[in-house]
Amino acid sequence: MRGALAVFGRELRAYFFSPLAYVILTFFVLVQGWYFAMIVAFLADPRAAAGRPLELFFGQTIFTWLVLIFAGTFLTMRLISEELRSGTIETLLTSPISEVQVVAGKYLAALTFYLFLWAPTLVYVAIVRWFTPVDWGPIAASYLGIVGIGALFLAVGLFASATSKNQMVAAVVTFFCLLVLFSCGLLENLVNGETAKKVLGQMNLWQHMDDFSKGIVDTRRLVYYATGVGFFLFLTSRALAAKKWR
Amino acid sequence: MIEAHDLTRKFGDFTAVAGVSFALSAGEIVGILGPNGAGKTTTIRMLTGFLPPSSGRVTLGGRDLFGGTPDAVAVRRDLGYLPESVALYPEMRVEEYLSYRARLEGMDRTSTRRRLGEVLERCLLSDVRRQVIGTLSKGYRQRVGLAGAILHDPKVLILDEPTVGLDPKQIVAIRELIRELGRKHTLLLSTHILPEVELLCGRVLIFDRGRIVAEGSPDQLRERLQGQVAVTVEFEAAAPGILEAIEQIEGVRGIRAEADRPGPAGHSVRFVLECAPGADPRAAIFHLAVERSWTLLELASERASLEDIFVRLVTSDRRDAEQPGESQLAGEAA
Repeated sequence: MRGALAVFGRELRAYFFSPLAYVILTFFVLVQGWYFAMIVAFLADPRAAAGRPLELFFGQTIFTWLVLIFAGTFLTMRLISEELRSGTIETLLTSPISEVQVVAGKYLAALTFYLFLWAPTLVYVAIVRWFTPVDWGPIAASYLGIVGIGALFLAVGLFASATSKNQMVAAVVTFFCLLVLFSCGLLENLVNGETAKKVLGQMNLWQHMDDFSKGIVDTRRLVYYATGVGFFLFLTSRALAAKKWR
Repeated sequence: MIEAHDLTRKFGDFTAVAGVSFALSAGEIVGILGPNGAGKTTTIRMLTGFLPPSSGRVTLGGRDLFGGTPDAVAVRRDLGYLPESVALYPEMRVEEYLSYRARLEGMDRTSTRRRLGEVLERCLLSDVRRQVIGTLSKGYRQRVGLAGAILHDPKVLILDEPTVGLDPKQIVAIRELIRELGRKHTLLLSTHILPEVELLCGRVLIFDRGRIVAEGSPDQLRERLQGQVAVTVEFEAAAPGILEAIEQIEGVRGIRAEADRPGPAGHSVRFVLECAPGADPRAAIFHLAVERSWTLLELASERASLEDIFVRLVTSDRRDAEQPGESQLAGEAA
């Protein structure tokens, strides 16, 4: 546990010392802010159908997904591949600390930074609250969805990072894995087999987020994210152990 | 203290280390010597628990390093390791990095604070403790790596080529530090620099192509492996029959011509003679020179250096490759 905390502390610090993190942070806030402003402007127009700005913000556009996929890719690509490239992995794995601890520490650091990334969006909630009463349930559910899906994406990215010494390779692998993970749910509408339709329907992340933004929390979905995270973190620790065998 | 039992490591079809066994007793300084690609680093990586052996075991104080148990992880606490490529995190400060290493080793706050000051001082890092590692020179980074390896006061310290890439002044400082560490720790040191081994190690393991080809103290190796002296002889000018005449002298086992050098009268000729144990052909050479009126410029006997033994060992069954191997080695040792 102490070892995992040591790794967590170092990684979190490394995020705030790397220029990449600030670039991501800047673009994230820019994109989200611009997009939120658009939604507000759109809904303020008397010709628009009535709607809730935060529901639109979280659930019904591709922007949320672009942000999630890019954040999942960029936040994780460096985590393990950089240690493999520079050779610091040798000191790390000869320390009295297990692979599981290394993976746990790094993953928690990525997740913490990811939450930090979303923190500024609370300002939008405050702004909406300033002008109109809000229903807190859907907002809490939306953030739950953002955390759940983000956690899943980061686990995929961490695994990809453990497979290559090259950050770019890790990033590309993550990006495609996340695209597949995201779009396989959308294939729901392209298959006719009953079982296939049902399975893909359960995996439809777009639908998940749409429901979360309306305040619908389905525990099956949370279980899906949790098992996904567990599975990919397990693979990551195995990949790390396998590095020793080469 | 640390024992290697019949270690073998294969990478695909290539066998990097083949059945190596040895043991270090507490307080010993042992050197691993060998040309590049002899399996030194692979062996060390197995000893530190980084690379599992294809077969064989490593035990540290009787505990297996590859048991796959929580105990196997805890055993590594007794181990300090400086890898060949001293890899550090460039964005961290020296002090920050060392306290991170201390946390990885599971040290508590009080002992970390105490050891940090001690180690910074011993490794001559006190004046750069607040500096970012990425801005440090190679010599400083090497010392930061070393400081990280000894921070938790391990029983066994394993250093892979600790002086590579340093300037002569830094080499002296690091060697001094290693010698000092050797008083307290069991120390395994890999290098391809011969004087370093002669200077520091009580025992030497010579590796070649994945095997230990010789083992013993530098003195023992000298005695056992040649027991004879080498005689250098230099004549002012080449004369017909010189080589043959010298070869006839009793006690001369081998003769090797050295490169011609410009001398007082054109080019002199220089030979290094390998002699049988106990033989001293110097008098005979002198008489020969007088008899034939060859001008003798130099006649000297010396005990073969560890370098000679080393070269002979690692080239013994590839005679034709002897010359290049030797010059390369001399270059590195210089």
